[in-house]
Amino acid sequence: MKVEMFYTPGCSECITANAELRTAAQEVVKNLEWRDLNVLDDLDYAVELGVLTLPSIAVDGELVFTSMPTVAQLREALMKRSRKST
Amino acid sequence: MFTIGKLASLTSVSNDTLRYYEHEGLVEPAGKSPAGYRLYDKDSARRIRFIKHAQNCGFTLAEIRDLLVLRARDKACCGDVRARAVEKKLQIESKIRAMKAMSKALDQLIADCANETQPVNECTIIAALERATVATPVQ
Repeated sequence: MKVEMFYTPGCSECITANAELRTAAQEVVKNLEWRDLNVLDDLDYAVELGVLTLPSIAVDGELVFTSMPTVAQLREALMKRSRKST
Repeated sequence: MFTIGKLASLTSVSNDTLRYYEHEGLVEPAGKSPAGYRLYDKDSARRIRFIKHAQNCGFTLAEIRDLLVLRARDKACCGDVRARAVEKKLQIESKIRAMKAMSKALDQLIADCANETQPVNECTIIAALERATVATPVQ
């Protein structure tokens, strides 16, 4: 599973929450790939996924969160996806 | 201090627009004349120019109101404003993509309509639109 967080540099909320969310995600899903994408460096990809607000989180190329989720919300979304794929 | 007419001519905005900005909470008169007319100061002119520039960059009046609040907030930093500018760019890029898809769909319709002398009831564009099989742009 691949989780991509779109952010803009200077977003203090993103920096604070990033490590916590990443750790939680890696606890829930084995072999999880986590990517932090500066939206300005990956603008076309972000637009393709429908990212309009920041931060946004996509899972396996699908936009799942359009604002910063809580750890619990991310855990739940990832667990639901894990169950679906098995 | 300026009257509304003077402010309008200084900023190339109509009196009605200034009243609308006031109604939307974007600008406030600095005071009133003894006769009760609205009076504005240099800061009002600066705000109007700010609003116009922001509109030219695609910001809506509601978003401009947020920017004006940020501009006045001591704890706000440039990063907060930058994040809004980046989000606006994302929205504009998304619209460009949707419009390109629309343009492409029109290319297809135009190309399919080879005979422009055909009567309108045989027009392939009309027929295609009625069938609604034209590729619709991704939103």
